[in-house]
Amino acid sequence: MMEEAASQLERDHVHSVYDKIAPYFNDSRYKAWPKVRQFLLDLPPGSIVADIGCGNGKYLHINKEVFKLGCDVCRPLVDFAWSQGHEVQMCDGLRLPYRDGCFDAVLSIAVIHHFSTKERRIRAIKEMARTLRVGGRIMIYVWAMEQKRRKFEKQDIFVPWNPNPHLSSSFNRDDTKPRRRAAAQSVSEAIDNAENYRKVRSTSSVADEEDATQAVPQQRTQRLWFFSRSLDSVFDFGSLAISWPSSRDLRHLPSATGENEGNKPNQRARGRGLIKQVSSFFSPPSVIGSEEDVFDSDTDLQKDRNDPGGPSNPTNNNGKENQGVSVSLAQECGSLALPDLISLQQENLRQSEDQSAGGPVGTGRQEGTQSPEEQVEASCLRYYHVFREGELAELIEHHVEELHVTHNYFDHANWCVVAEKVQLWKI
Amino acid sequence: MKLLTHNMLTSHVKGVTKGYPLLIKATEVKVNEVDFNPKFVCRMIPKLEWSALVQAADQLGHREDLPGELVPDYEKNEDFLKKVHRVLLEVEVIEGCLQCPESGREFPISRGIPNMLVNEDEA
Repeated sequence: MMEEAASQLERDHVHSVYDKIAPYFNDSRYKAWPKVRQFLLDLPPGSIVADIGCGNGKYLHINKEVFKLGCDVCRPLVDFAWSQGHEVQMCDGLRLPYRDGCFDAVLSIAVIHHFSTKERRIRAIKEMARTLRVGGRIMIYVWAMEQKRRKFEKQDIFVPWNPNPHLSSSFNRDDTKPRRRAAAQSVSEAIDNAENYRKVRSTSSVADEEDATQAVPQQRTQRLWFFSRSLDSVFDFGSLAISWPSSRDLRHLPSATGENEGNKPNQRARGRGLIKQVSSFFSPPSVIGSEEDVFDSDTDLQKDRNDPGGPSNPTNNNGKENQGVSVSLAQECGSLALPDLISLQQENLRQSEDQSAGGPVGTGRQEGTQSPEEQVEASCLRYYHVFREGELAELIEHHVEELHVTHNYFDHANWCVVAEKVQLWKI
Repeated sequence: MKLLTHNMLTSHVKGVTKGYPLLIKATEVKVNEVDFNPKFVCRMIPKLEWSALVQAADQLGHREDLPGELVPDYEKNEDFLKKVHRVLLEVEVIEGCLQCPESGREFPISRGIPNMLVNEDEA
Protein backbone atom coordinates (compact mmCIF):
# COMPACT_ATOMS: atom_id res chain seq x y z
CA MET A 1 0.00 0.00 0.00
CA MET A 2 1.21 3.45 -0.89
CA GLU A 3 0.95 4.72 2.63
CA GLU A 4 3.30 2.07 3.97
CA ALA A 5 5.73 2.55 1.16
CA ALA A 6 5.69 6.31 1.63
CA SER A 7 6.25 5.93 5.31
CA GLN A 8 9.04 3.44 4.78
CA LEU A 9 10.75 5.78 2.34
CA GLU A 10 10.61 8.55 4.89
CA ARG A 11 11.96 6.29 7.61
CA ASP A 12 14.88 5.25 5.46
CA HIS A 13 15.63 8.52 3.73
CA VAL A 14 14.62 11.16 6.16
CA HIS A 15 14.40 9.94 9.73
CA SER A 16 17.34 7.61 9.81
CA VAL A 17 19.53 9.99 7.87
CA TYR A 18 18.84 12.83 10.27
CA ASP A 19 19.55 10.47 13.15
CA LYS A 20 22.96 9.81 11.65
CA ILE A 21 23.83 13.34 10.66
CA ALA A 22 22.38 15.04 13.73
CA PRO A 23 25.80 15.62 15.31
CA TYR A 24 26.86 17.58 12.27
CA PHE A 25 23.69 19.58 12.23
CA ASN A 26 24.22 21.26 15.48
CA ASP A 27 26.86 23.57 14.22
CA SER A 28 25.16 24.23 10.94
CA ARG A 29 21.65 24.99 11.91
CA TYR A 30 22.24 27.90 14.22
CA LYS A 31 21.32 30.40 11.59
CA ALA A 32 17.76 31.63 11.45
CA TRP A 33 16.35 32.85 8.18
CA PRO A 34 15.73 36.56 8.74
CA LYS A 35 12.12 36.51 7.61
CA VAL A 36 11.37 33.65 9.94
CA ARG A 37 13.02 35.53 12.74
CA GLN A 38 10.90 38.55 11.91
CA PHE A 39 7.74 36.50 11.89
CA LEU A 40 8.55 35.38 15.42
CA LEU A 41 9.49 38.84 16.60
CA ASP A 42 6.24 40.25 15.26
CA LEU A 43 4.13 37.98 17.45
CA PRO A 44 2.28 39.71 20.27
CA PRO A 45 3.79 39.10 23.73
CA GLY A 46 2.23 36.11 25.44
CA SER A 47 1.72 34.18 22.21
CA ILE A 48 2.22 30.44 22.07
CA VAL A 49 4.20 29.23 19.05
CA ALA A 50 4.99 25.74 17.88
CA ASP A 51 7.96 24.91 15.67
CA ILE A 52 6.90 21.69 13.98
CA GLY A 53 10.02 19.90 12.83
CA CYS A 54 12.22 22.09 14.99
CA GLY A 55 15.41 20.12 14.43
CA ASN A 56 18.00 21.32 16.89
CA GLY A 57 15.78 24.17 17.95
CA LYS A 58 17.43 27.04 16.20
CA TYR A 59 14.29 29.15 16.17
CA LEU A 60 13.28 28.43 19.72
CA HIS A 61 15.37 31.10 21.36
CA ILE A 62 13.90 33.99 19.36
CA ASN A 63 11.54 36.37 21.19
CA LYS A 64 11.47 35.94 24.91
CA GLU A 65 7.97 37.36 25.18
CA VAL A 66 6.36 34.35 23.59
CA PHE A 67 6.14 30.75 24.72
CA LYS A 68 7.73 28.41 22.21
CA LEU A 69 7.69 24.70 21.93
CA GLY A 70 9.21 22.48 19.33
CA CYS A 71 8.86 18.94 18.12
CA ASP A 72 10.64 16.61 15.77
CA VAL A 73 11.02 12.92 14.98
CA CYS A 74 14.76 13.01 15.34
CA ARG A 75 15.78 12.18 18.89
CA PRO A 76 19.37 13.44 18.78
CA LEU A 77 18.27 16.81 17.44
CA VAL A 78 15.48 17.10 19.99
CA ASP A 79 17.91 16.20 22.77
CA PHE A 80 20.16 18.98 21.65
CA ALA A 81 17.30 21.48 21.60
CA TRP A 82 16.39 20.45 25.12
CA SER A 83 19.95 20.95 26.26
CA GLN A 84 19.59 24.54 25.11
CA GLY A 85 16.71 24.96 27.52
CA HIS A 86 13.80 24.58 25.12
CA GLU A 87 10.50 22.77 25.58
CA VAL A 88 10.51 20.04 22.99
CA GLN A 89 8.74 16.78 22.24
CA MET A 90 9.16 13.83 19.96
CA CYS A 91 6.34 13.46 17.54
CA ASP A 92 5.33 12.92 13.96
CA GLY A 93 4.08 15.70 11.71
CA LEU A 94 1.12 13.65 10.59
CA ARG A 95 -0.11 13.08 14.12
CA LEU A 96 0.52 16.14 16.25
CA PRO A 97 -0.10 15.59 19.94
CA TYR A 98 -1.57 19.02 20.54
CA ARG A 99 -5.14 19.97 21.20
CA ASP A 100 -7.16 21.88 18.62
CA GLY A 101 -6.59 25.58 18.31
CA CYS A 102 -4.01 25.90 21.07
CA PHE A 103 -1.33 27.78 19.17
CA ASP A 104 -1.19 31.40 18.12
CA ALA A 105 1.42 30.63 15.51
CA VAL A 106 3.10 27.65 13.89
CA LEU A 107 6.39 27.31 12.02
CA SER A 108 7.16 24.67 9.45
CA ILE A 109 10.62 25.50 8.18
CA ALA A 110 12.12 23.07 5.70
CA VAL A 111 10.03 20.15 6.85
CA ILE A 112 7.16 19.20 4.63
CA HIS A 113 9.40 18.76 1.63
CA HIS A 114 10.43 15.53 3.30
CA PHE A 115 6.99 14.00 3.00
CA SER A 116 6.99 11.70 0.07
CA THR A 117 3.46 12.03 -1.26
CA LYS A 118 1.18 14.94 -1.95
CA GLU A 119 -1.43 13.45 0.29
CA ARG A 120 0.96 13.30 3.24
CA ARG A 121 2.08 16.85 2.65
CA ILE A 122 -1.53 17.95 2.73
CA ARG A 123 -2.18 15.98 5.89
CA ALA A 124 0.83 17.57 7.55
CA ILE A 125 -0.44 21.04 6.71
CA LYS A 126 -3.94 20.18 7.89
CA GLU A 127 -2.58 18.87 11.17
CA MET A 128 -0.75 22.09 11.78
CA ALA A 129 -3.84 24.09 10.83
CA ARG A 130 -5.83 22.06 13.34
CA THR A 131 -3.58 23.15 16.17
CA LEU A 132 -3.78 26.82 15.19
CA ARG A 133 -6.40 29.02 16.72
CA VAL A 134 -8.66 31.00 14.42
CA GLY A 135 -6.72 34.11 13.45
CA GLY A 136 -3.44 32.35 14.14
CA ARG A 137 -0.73 32.28 11.48
CA ILE A 138 1.50 29.65 10.00
CA MET A 139 4.75 30.14 8.14
CA ILE A 140 5.89 27.33 5.84
CA TYR A 141 9.25 27.12 4.08
CA VAL A 142 10.08 24.42 1.55
CA TRP A 143 12.91 23.90 -0.90
CA ALA A 144 12.24 25.36 -4.29
CA MET A 145 12.67 23.46 -7.49
CA GLU A 146 13.72 26.68 -9.12
CA GLN A 147 17.03 27.77 -7.71
CA LYS A 148 18.58 31.01 -8.92
CA ARG A 149 20.54 29.62 -11.78
CA ARG A 150 19.48 26.09 -11.91
CA LYS A 151 16.35 24.12 -11.68
CA PHE A 152 16.23 20.65 -10.27
CA GLU A 153 15.42 18.27 -13.07
CA LYS A 154 12.65 16.60 -11.16
CA GLN A 155 10.69 17.31 -8.07
CA ASP A 156 11.27 14.08 -6.22
CA ILE A 157 14.90 13.72 -5.47
CA PHE A 158 17.47 12.19 -3.21
CA VAL A 159 20.25 14.39 -1.97
CA PRO A 160 23.33 12.59 -0.75
CA TRP A 161 24.91 13.47 2.50
CA ASN A 162 28.61 13.59 2.18
CA PRO A 163 30.27 13.90 5.54
CA ASN A 164 33.76 14.08 4.24
CA PRO A 165 34.37 16.10 1.15
CA HIS A 166 38.10 16.31 1.78
CA LEU A 167 38.77 19.93 1.37
CA SER A 168 42.13 20.72 2.67
CA SER A 169 42.29 24.46 2.82
CA SER A 170 40.63 26.84 5.12
CA PHE A 171 39.28 30.27 4.55
CA ASN A 172 40.91 33.27 5.99
CA ARG A 173 38.22 35.80 6.03
CA ASP A 174 37.40 38.24 8.68
CA ASP A 175 34.01 37.82 10.04
CA THR A 176 32.71 40.38 12.40
CA LYS A 177 29.32 38.86 12.85
CA PRO A 178 28.37 38.18 16.42
CA ARG A 179 28.60 34.66 17.71
CA ARG A 180 25.50 32.87 18.65
CA ARG A 181 25.30 31.69 22.20
CA ALA A 182 27.43 28.64 22.64
CA ALA A 183 26.04 25.18 22.55
CA ALA A 184 26.08 23.14 25.69
CA GLN A 185 26.63 19.77 24.18
CA SER A 186 29.87 18.35 23.09
CA VAL A 187 28.05 16.87 20.17
CA SER A 188 29.74 18.98 17.61
CA GLU A 189 33.38 19.70 18.08
CA ALA A 190 33.25 22.28 15.35
CA ILE A 191 31.46 24.59 17.72
CA ASP A 192 34.52 24.68 19.90
CA ASN A 193 36.43 26.02 17.03
CA ALA A 194 35.29 29.59 17.02
CA GLU A 195 36.96 30.41 13.80
CA ASN A 196 35.26 27.71 11.81
CA TYR A 197 32.07 28.71 13.49
CA ARG A 198 32.33 32.23 12.20
CA LYS A 199 33.24 30.94 8.79
CA VAL A 200 30.22 28.76 8.72
CA ARG A 201 28.13 31.77 9.51
CA SER A 202 29.64 33.74 6.77
CA THR A 203 29.24 31.12 4.14
CA SER A 204 25.64 30.67 4.91
CA SER A 205 24.73 34.24 5.57
CA VAL A 206 22.18 36.15 3.65
CA ALA A 207 24.16 38.49 1.49
CA ASP A 208 26.79 36.06 0.63
CA GLU A 209 27.69 36.69 -2.93
CA GLU A 210 30.50 38.98 -2.09
CA ASP A 211 31.94 36.50 0.34
CA ALA A 212 32.45 33.96 -2.35
CA THR A 213 34.48 36.34 -4.39
CA GLN A 214 36.73 37.24 -1.55
CA ALA A 215 38.02 33.75 -1.19
CA VAL A 216 41.48 32.98 -2.43
CA PRO A 217 41.09 31.55 -5.92
CA GLN A 218 42.43 28.15 -5.21
CA GLN A 219 40.38 27.78 -2.11
CA ARG A 220 37.40 29.05 -3.91
CA THR A 221 37.83 26.47 -6.56
CA GLN A 222 38.00 23.72 -4.04
CA ARG A 223 34.94 25.06 -2.42
CA LEU A 224 33.29 25.28 -5.78
CA TRP A 225 34.17 21.79 -6.50
CA PHE A 226 32.47 20.69 -3.36
CA PHE A 227 29.34 22.66 -4.01
CA SER A 228 28.96 21.88 -7.62
CA ARG A 229 29.59 18.29 -6.88
CA SER A 230 26.99 18.29 -4.19
CA LEU A 231 24.34 19.79 -6.34
CA ASP A 232 25.23 17.58 -9.23
CA SER A 233 24.97 14.70 -6.93
CA VAL A 234 21.34 15.41 -6.48
CA PHE A 235 19.91 12.19 -7.44
CA ASP A 236 17.55 12.69 -10.30
CA PHE A 237 14.81 10.15 -10.31
CA GLY A 238 13.92 10.91 -13.87
CA SER A 239 17.32 10.19 -15.23
CA LEU A 240 17.15 6.72 -13.82
CA ALA A 241 13.69 6.11 -15.09
CA ILE A 242 12.56 5.53 -11.60
CA SER A 243 9.99 7.87 -10.32
CA TRP A 244 8.46 7.57 -6.96
CA PRO A 245 5.79 6.55 -6.36
CA SER A 246 4.83 5.77 -9.89
CA SER A 247 4.21 2.11 -10.31
CA ARG A 248 5.49 2.14 -13.84
CA ASP A 249 9.03 1.57 -12.73
CA LEU A 250 8.38 -0.68 -9.85
CA ARG A 251 8.82 -3.45 -12.31
CA HIS A 252 12.52 -2.88 -11.80
CA LEU A 253 12.13 -3.76 -8.20
CA PRO A 254 11.38 -7.04 -6.52
CA SER A 255 7.90 -8.00 -7.49
CA ALA A 256 5.58 -5.24 -6.56
CA THR A 257 2.16 -6.64 -6.87
CA GLY A 258 0.57 -3.24 -6.53
CA GLU A 259 -1.79 -2.33 -3.77
CA ASN A 260 -1.86 -4.38 -0.69
CA GLU A 261 1.52 -5.67 0.06
CA GLY A 262 0.50 -5.94 3.64
CA ASN A 263 3.57 -7.94 4.28
CA LYS A 264 6.33 -5.98 5.88
CA PRO A 265 9.28 -7.89 4.44
CA ASN A 266 7.91 -7.19 1.01
CA GLN A 267 7.80 -3.53 1.70
CA ARG A 268 11.33 -3.54 2.87
CA ALA A 269 12.40 -5.52 -0.13
CA ARG A 270 10.80 -2.99 -2.37
CA GLY A 271 12.52 -0.22 -0.52
CA ARG A 272 15.81 -1.98 -0.72
CA GLY A 273 15.32 -2.63 -4.35
CA LEU A 274 14.94 1.06 -4.92
CA ILE A 275 18.03 1.70 -2.91
CA LYS A 276 19.98 -0.86 -4.88
CA GLN A 277 18.95 0.88 -8.04
CA VAL A 278 20.00 4.14 -6.53
CA SER A 279 23.28 2.88 -5.21
CA SER A 280 24.29 1.13 -8.36
CA PHE A 281 24.79 4.53 -9.82
CA PHE A 282 27.46 5.31 -7.33
CA SER A 283 30.13 3.14 -8.69
CA PRO A 284 32.55 1.55 -6.27
CA PRO A 285 35.05 3.58 -5.41
CA SER A 286 37.65 4.79 -3.61
CA VAL A 287 38.09 7.87 -5.63
CA ILE A 288 36.02 10.94 -5.40
CA GLY A 289 35.76 10.99 -9.13
CA SER A 290 33.45 8.04 -9.05
CA GLU A 291 30.42 10.05 -8.22
CA GLU A 292 30.83 12.09 -11.32
CA ASP A 293 29.91 9.05 -13.31
CA VAL A 294 26.39 9.52 -12.12
CA PHE A 295 25.87 12.75 -13.88
CA ASP A 296 23.95 13.01 -17.06
CA SER A 297 25.28 15.07 -19.86
CA ASP A 298 22.08 16.98 -19.82
CA THR A 299 22.57 18.51 -16.42
CA ASP A 300 23.24 22.13 -16.90
CA LEU A 301 26.41 21.98 -14.87
CA GLN A 302 29.69 20.78 -16.10
CA LYS A 303 31.12 17.89 -14.24
CA ASP A 304 34.34 18.37 -12.47
CA ARG A 305 36.65 16.03 -14.21
CA ASN A 306 39.12 15.93 -11.45
CA ASP A 307 41.75 13.31 -11.59
CA PRO A 308 41.51 10.75 -8.84
CA GLY A 309 43.99 12.70 -6.88
CA GLY A 310 41.01 14.60 -5.72
CA PRO A 311 41.07 18.01 -4.18
CA SER A 312 44.78 18.22 -4.04
CA ASN A 313 44.65 18.89 -7.75
CA PRO A 314 41.52 20.80 -7.84
CA THR A 315 41.60 22.83 -10.93
CA ASN A 316 44.03 21.32 -13.29
CA ASN A 317 41.65 19.38 -15.36
CA ASN A 318 38.86 21.85 -15.44
CA GLY A 319 38.19 23.72 -18.55
CA LYS A 320 37.63 27.38 -18.18
CA GLU A 321 34.05 26.82 -18.91
CA ASN A 322 33.75 24.47 -16.00
CA GLN A 323 35.18 26.98 -13.72
CA GLY A 324 32.93 29.63 -15.04
CA VAL A 325 29.87 27.59 -14.35
CA SER A 326 31.19 26.44 -11.04
CA VAL A 327 31.95 29.93 -9.94
CA SER A 328 28.47 31.12 -10.54
CA LEU A 329 27.11 28.06 -8.86
CA ALA A 330 29.15 28.57 -5.75
CA GLN A 331 28.14 32.16 -5.55
CA GLU A 332 24.62 30.98 -5.60
CA CYS A 333 25.44 28.24 -3.17
CA GLY A 334 26.47 30.78 -0.65
CA SER A 335 22.92 31.95 -0.55
CA LEU A 336 21.28 28.62 -1.05
CA ALA A 337 19.40 26.86 1.63
CA LEU A 338 22.08 24.25 2.03
CA PRO A 339 23.45 25.08 5.41
CA ASP A 340 24.00 21.44 6.17
CA LEU A 341 26.31 20.91 3.23
CA ILE A 342 28.15 24.11 3.95
CA SER A 343 28.79 23.30 7.52
CA LEU A 344 29.89 19.80 6.74
CA GLN A 345 32.51 21.30 4.58
CA GLN A 346 33.71 23.36 7.51
CA GLU A 347 33.53 20.43 9.84
CA ASN A 348 35.75 18.51 7.52
CA LEU A 349 38.10 21.36 6.94
CA ARG A 350 38.82 21.14 10.57
CA GLN A 351 39.03 17.41 10.47
CA SER A 352 41.31 17.33 7.53
CA GLU A 353 43.51 19.89 9.12
CA ASP A 354 43.81 17.64 12.10
CA GLN A 355 44.44 14.55 10.10
CA SER A 356 47.65 13.84 8.35
CA ALA A 357 47.92 15.43 4.98
CA GLY A 358 48.36 12.12 3.36
CA GLY A 359 44.98 10.88 4.35
CA PRO A 360 43.16 8.73 1.85
CA VAL A 361 41.53 10.67 -0.86
CA GLY A 362 38.03 10.10 -1.93
CA THR A 363 37.07 7.64 0.64
CA GLY A 364 34.80 10.52 1.46
CA ARG A 365 32.34 8.31 3.27
CA GLN A 366 31.22 8.21 6.81
CA GLU A 367 34.07 7.57 9.07
CA GLY A 368 34.53 4.13 10.44
CA THR A 369 32.08 2.52 8.15
CA GLN A 370 32.81 -0.93 7.03
CA SER A 371 29.93 -1.37 4.66
CA PRO A 372 30.43 -1.23 0.95
CA GLU A 373 30.51 2.33 -0.15
CA GLU A 374 27.45 2.01 -2.29
CA GLN A 375 25.40 1.12 0.71
CA VAL A 376 26.71 3.98 2.75
CA GLU A 377 26.01 6.45 0.00
CA ALA A 378 22.54 5.10 -0.44
CA SER A 379 21.86 5.15 3.26
CA CYS A 380 22.70 8.81 3.51
CA LEU A 381 20.41 9.97 0.78
CA ARG A 382 17.80 12.38 1.98
CA TYR A 383 14.52 12.41 0.19
CA TYR A 384 13.08 15.76 -0.88
CA HIS A 385 10.09 16.82 -2.84
CA VAL A 386 11.14 20.22 -4.12
CA PHE A 387 8.30 22.59 -4.84
CA ARG A 388 7.49 24.41 -8.03
CA GLU A 389 6.55 28.04 -7.95
CA GLY A 390 3.00 28.37 -6.69
CA GLU A 391 2.71 24.72 -5.72
CA LEU A 392 2.66 25.26 -1.99
CA ALA A 393 0.10 28.04 -2.16
CA GLU A 394 -2.04 25.96 -4.50
CA LEU A 395 -1.85 23.00 -2.20
CA ILE A 396 -3.23 25.09 0.62
CA GLU A 397 -5.82 26.89 -1.46
CA HIS A 398 -7.24 23.69 -2.90
CA HIS A 399 -6.89 21.28 -0.03
CA VAL A 400 -6.74 23.17 3.24
CA GLU A 401 -9.75 25.41 3.32
CA GLU A 402 -9.21 26.34 6.95
CA LEU A 403 -6.07 28.24 5.90
CA HIS A 404 -6.05 31.43 3.90
CA VAL A 405 -2.76 32.33 2.20
CA THR A 406 -1.66 35.87 2.99
CA HIS A 407 1.94 35.88 1.76
CA ASN A 408 3.69 33.91 -0.89
CA TYR A 409 7.34 34.54 -1.77
CA PHE A 410 10.74 33.16 -2.64
CA ASP A 411 13.46 33.37 -0.04
CA HIS A 412 16.94 32.01 -0.49
CA ALA A 413 16.02 28.94 -2.49
CA ASN A 414 12.84 28.31 -0.59
CA TRP A 415 9.21 28.87 -1.45
CA CYS A 416 7.50 30.43 1.50
CA VAL A 417 3.92 30.85 2.45
CA VAL A 418 2.29 32.58 5.35
CA ALA A 419 -1.32 31.67 5.96
CA GLU A 420 -3.99 32.51 8.48
CA LYS A 421 -6.40 30.10 10.11
CA VAL A 422 -9.95 30.99 9.28
CA GLN A 423 -13.23 29.96 10.77
CA LEU A 424 -15.07 27.62 8.47
CA TRP A 425 -18.79 27.86 8.35
CA LYS A 426 -20.55 24.74 7.23
CA ILE A 427 -24.13 25.13 6.20
CA MET B 1 8.34 18.99 30.31
CA LYS B 2 6.76 22.03 31.90
CA LEU B 3 3.13 22.16 32.83
CA LEU B 4 2.47 24.91 30.32
CA THR B 5 3.49 22.43 27.64
CA HIS B 6 1.47 19.66 29.24
CA ASN B 7 -1.57 21.88 29.00
CA MET B 8 -1.33 21.71 25.20
CA LEU B 9 -0.61 18.01 24.91
CA THR B 10 -3.20 15.45 24.06
CA SER B 11 -3.38 11.77 23.24
CA HIS B 12 -3.91 11.05 19.57
CA VAL B 13 -4.23 7.31 19.78
CA LYS B 14 -6.59 5.97 17.16
CA GLY B 15 -10.24 6.01 18.11
CA VAL B 16 -9.75 8.07 21.24
CA THR B 17 -12.14 10.96 21.60
CA LYS B 18 -11.22 12.09 25.05
CA GLY B 19 -7.46 12.11 25.02
CA TYR B 20 -7.12 15.26 27.07
CA PRO B 21 -5.77 15.97 29.55
CA LEU B 22 -3.02 13.39 29.79
CA LEU B 23 -2.44 11.99 33.24
CA ILE B 24 1.05 12.57 34.55
CA LYS B 25 2.99 9.89 36.33
CA ALA B 26 6.28 11.43 37.27
CA THR B 27 9.28 9.69 38.74
CA GLU B 28 11.53 12.72 38.63
CA VAL B 29 10.42 16.31 38.99
CA LYS B 30 12.57 19.41 39.16
CA VAL B 31 11.73 22.91 40.24
CA ASN B 32 13.77 25.62 38.55
CA GLU B 33 13.91 29.31 39.09
CA VAL B 34 12.50 31.20 36.17
CA ASP B 35 12.24 34.97 35.90
CA PHE B 36 8.79 36.14 36.81
CA ASN B 37 7.10 38.10 34.06
CA PRO B 38 3.60 39.02 35.25
CA LYS B 39 2.44 40.26 31.88
CA PHE B 40 3.50 37.05 30.24
CA VAL B 41 1.67 34.94 32.80
CA CYS B 42 -1.39 37.13 32.49
CA ARG B 43 -1.56 36.59 28.78
CA MET B 44 -1.07 32.85 29.09
CA ILE B 45 -3.96 32.32 31.47
CA PRO B 46 -6.80 32.72 28.94
CA LYS B 47 -5.08 30.20 26.70
CA LEU B 48 -5.02 27.51 29.33
CA GLU B 49 -7.43 24.78 30.17
CA TRP B 50 -7.48 25.80 33.82
CA SER B 51 -8.79 22.59 35.33
CA ALA B 52 -6.23 20.54 33.41
CA LEU B 53 -3.49 22.71 34.90
CA VAL B 54 -4.77 22.28 38.42
CA GLN B 55 -5.15 18.54 37.98
CA ALA B 56 -1.62 18.25 36.59
CA ALA B 57 -0.12 20.30 39.42
CA ASP B 58 -2.02 18.12 41.83
CA GLN B 59 -0.69 14.92 40.28
CA LEU B 60 2.81 16.20 40.79
CA GLY B 61 2.17 17.21 44.34
CA HIS B 62 2.88 20.80 43.46
CA ARG B 63 -0.54 22.27 43.51
CA GLU B 64 -0.08 24.03 46.83
CA ASP B 65 -2.89 26.51 47.11
CA LEU B 66 -3.66 27.02 43.46
CA PRO B 67 -7.42 27.60 43.25
CA GLY B 68 -9.65 25.18 41.39
CA GLU B 69 -11.20 28.05 39.52
CA LEU B 70 -9.76 31.19 38.09
CA VAL B 71 -10.00 34.12 40.46
CA PRO B 72 -11.70 37.19 39.05
CA ASP B 73 -9.45 40.16 38.30
CA TYR B 74 -6.36 38.04 38.36
CA GLU B 75 -4.52 40.56 36.18
CA LYS B 76 -3.77 42.71 39.18
CA ASN B 77 -3.31 39.93 41.65
CA GLU B 78 0.43 39.50 41.76
CA ASP B 79 0.26 36.85 44.40
CA PHE B 80 -1.97 34.73 42.26
CA LEU B 81 0.14 35.35 39.16
CA LYS B 82 3.23 34.20 41.01
CA LYS B 83 1.55 30.94 41.90
CA VAL B 84 0.53 30.42 38.33
CA HIS B 85 4.02 31.28 37.15
CA ARG B 86 5.49 28.68 39.43
CA VAL B 87 3.25 25.94 38.33
CA LEU B 88 3.38 26.75 34.64
CA LEU B 89 7.06 27.42 34.19
CA GLU B 90 9.10 26.35 37.18
CA VAL B 91 7.89 22.84 37.81
CA GLU B 92 9.35 20.40 35.32
CA VAL B 93 8.87 16.69 34.77
CA ILE B 94 12.18 15.07 33.87
CA GLU B 95 11.26 11.39 33.98
CA GLY B 96 7.94 9.63 33.97
CA CYS B 97 5.12 9.20 31.55
CA LEU B 98 1.92 10.70 30.25
CA GLN B 99 -1.10 8.48 30.16
CA CYS B 100 -4.02 8.69 27.78
CA PRO B 101 -7.11 9.01 29.99
CA GLU B 102 -9.20 6.95 27.60
CA SER B 103 -6.98 4.21 26.24
CA GLY B 104 -4.43 3.99 29.02
CA ARG B 105 -1.61 4.15 26.50
CA GLU B 106 1.53 5.59 28.09
CA PHE B 107 3.84 8.07 26.46
CA PRO B 108 7.25 8.10 28.12
CA ILE B 109 9.00 11.25 29.30
CA SER B 110 12.72 10.88 29.45
CA ARG B 111 15.40 13.52 29.89
CA GLY B 112 12.61 16.07 30.02
CA ILE B 113 11.25 15.12 26.61
CA PRO B 114 7.85 13.50 26.11
CA ASN B 115 7.85 10.96 23.33
CA MET B 116 4.48 11.29 21.66
CA LEU B 117 5.24 9.05 18.70
CA VAL B 118 2.66 6.37 18.10
CA ASN B 119 3.13 3.21 16.16
CA GLU B 120 1.55 2.93 12.73
CA ASP B 121 -1.19 0.66 13.98
CA GLU B 122 -2.17 2.93 16.80
CA ALA B 123 -3.05 6.01 14.86
